Amino acid sequence: MKKKVIVLMVAALILVPFIVGTATAKTLKIGTMSPLTGPYAADGNDIANGVRAAVAVIEADGGIPGYDKIEVVPQDTACDPRQAVAAANKLINEEVVGVVGAYCSSSTIPASEALAEEDIPMITPASTNEKVTERGLPYMFRMCGRDDDQSKIAGAFIKDYLKAKTVYIVDDKTTYSQGLAENVAKVLAGHGIKVVAHDHVNQGDKDFSAVLTKIKAANPDVFYMSLQNSATGSLMAIQAKRFGLKSKTVSQDAVYHPQFIEIAKDAAEGTFLTFGYTDKSKPAYKKYYDKYSGMFGEPGAYSGYAYDGAMVLLNAIKQAKSTDPAKIKAEIMKMDAVGATKHIKFMDNGDSGSDYVIWTVDGGQFETYWNPATGKLF
Amino acid sequence: MEFFLQQLINGLTLGGIYALIALGYTMVYGIIQLINFAHGEFFAAGGYMGVILLSFLAGQGYLQTHPWLCLGGAMLLAMVFCAFLAMAVEKVAYMPLRKSTRLAALVSALGMSIFLSNGLMLTQGVYDKPYPAAFSQGGFEFGNIVVSYLQIMIVLITIGLLIFLNILVFKTRIGKAMRATAQDKVMSALVGINSNKIISLTFAIGASLAAAAGIMVGLYYGSVNYTMGFVPGIKAFAAAVLGGIGNITGAMLGGLIIGMVEIFGAGYISGQYKDVFAFIILIAVLYFRPTGIMGENVDDTRV
Repeated sequence: MKKKVIVLMVAALILVPFIVGTATAKTLKIGTMSPLTGPYAADGNDIANGVRAAVAVIEADGGIPGYDKIEVVPQDTACDPRQAVAAANKLINEEVVGVVGAYCSSSTIPASEALAEEDIPMITPASTNEKVTERGLPYMFRMCGRDDDQSKIAGAFIKDYLKAKTVYIVDDKTTYSQGLAENVAKVLAGHGIKVVAHDHVNQGDKDFSAVLTKIKAANPDVFYMSLQNSATGSLMAIQAKRFGLKSKTVSQDAVYHPQFIEIAKDAAEGTFLTFGYTDKSKPAYKKYYDKYSGMFGEPGAYSGYAYDGAMVLLNAIKQAKSTDPAKIKAEIMKMDAVGATKHIKFMDNGDSGSDYVIWTVDGGQFETYWNPATGKLF
Repeated sequence: MEFFLQQLINGLTLGGIYALIALGYTMVYGIIQLINFAHGEFFAAGGYMGVILLSFLAGQGYLQTHPWLCLGGAMLLAMVFCAFLAMAVEKVAYMPLRKSTRLAALVSALGMSIFLSNGLMLTQGVYDKPYPAAFSQGGFEFGNIVVSYLQIMIVLITIGLLIFLNILVFKTRIGKAMRATAQDKVMSALVGINSNKIISLTFAIGASLAAAAGIMVGLYYGSVNYTMGFVPGIKAFAAAVLGGIGNITGAMLGGLIIGMVEIFGAGYISGQYKDVFAFIILIAVLYFRPTGIMGENVDDTRV
């Protein structure tokens, strides 16, 4: 018995250099979670690719001192709250130092609760529901804007520019789309604009002929389309055009995706959308665009925010020279820099401010249209 | 009144598509008592074949000059492709299980469905694929009622395929063999009908109808994606059960009813309960007629 113990101890001693040896070749793991499968897979892959592009840029600039390699651990949430929590737990087991994600607000909220238990910083590139940063979680950050701000901009545009009297609202019943639609309804009521009806469709529906016939009969000035998915938006736009709907269509950030125009083609023309303003001529954007388009092709709507989110996380680790959450947070709060998409400066609750403007589809392209700050066209 | 007529036309279009898919479920069930859950994926595969072929033709410039010829050709090719796909699925996933329990075949069908839809995702990507815009989006206008050319086309093609199927099943030798196999596999084999061949053929016909529906859906709604088979698959299955599973006329009727109920429910009550109405009707009918509207206890008309 004694002999066995000695043999084991000797064996352990011999193994020590190997274990230590592998430990010195250190890999920094960051997680990303987004819907990689299912109906929101397009946006989900844009987010994962945005993070990959950021890692490629950081590695090309010399990486992070103390680490040989940065590894991206992608997880699929499928925009399903349960799967999002499972994904968060997997990332915790993988010992990631931070997470960029998720896409759907209904996934981000439960996943962030799980990550908060381990104090893992989470930066969402795309979840715009107010509750995301309103729960007092110390390590929750948001790159994109908020729905209450977004609905104010939409409301101002409908009132001041379109001068609408009646609005018909349709959403597809997700935390995000319904929350935003309700916010817009509230803002419009405040402006004294009549919401003729607030109808809902189901996620995954393709046929909107029934609801569009209703809208046509109601003949509102504005049709507010709040959907979780840009492809669904295309289907609605195509069918609306076919029915000869005369109302102006106003939509939001989730429909803002190249796919919306690609599928709807000329039916997308003239649709107004709220989305964050990005100055595409600045060098930070160019750097991101060149890297991303070289790796994955044309960026999607949320690729840029995911890229910025990953940049914030990695730069904070680099500055802090540590993966301690408190130190990472201190560095993130100190940041005051030009990002690819927006100016990066976080507030105490983890928001980074909203910069929504009105975009439109013109000639098969998203173009900036109306600036709420000035109340004038761009 | 205008509102009612417009919704009626909308319901007819949607119902026609459900009916085409429902036929595949009902035919397969009629002949081997299997609910082929992979059927929705044949529909999706058909839609994808359509977009691949039509995009190719658009790239060559043929689609712009001969749109209807190209559509006909693409539809035919997609139908043939899905027919072969269905026969292969039958050989791989169902034939080895023909003598085992029904549950085993059902689980195999579910597995095949997941396999095929993920296969579509891996080969075709996660993004929606847009159909080339060669067909007029316009339509006839009667006052406020709009009947688009595509709606007319869908209804006409659906009616044409349904008539063709009826002739095939009730007027030809193959149809007679199918009906005989459905009634009694052993007896029909004794009189010289190759039941394996007939079962294979049934799968092929059902899948080719689903493929035609897939192309029409792609054209009508403008795009396809790899999850597109799931929801219409469930609805068409409900339609087949509603009409009396195993009964061809029942499946057509069931499809129309589900389509109409959905559209009128969404139109007159609320869009969010669209699916609920369809299934309420299903439950109500099954409560009073457990075999469905056209279902009979003596299975002599089924295929």
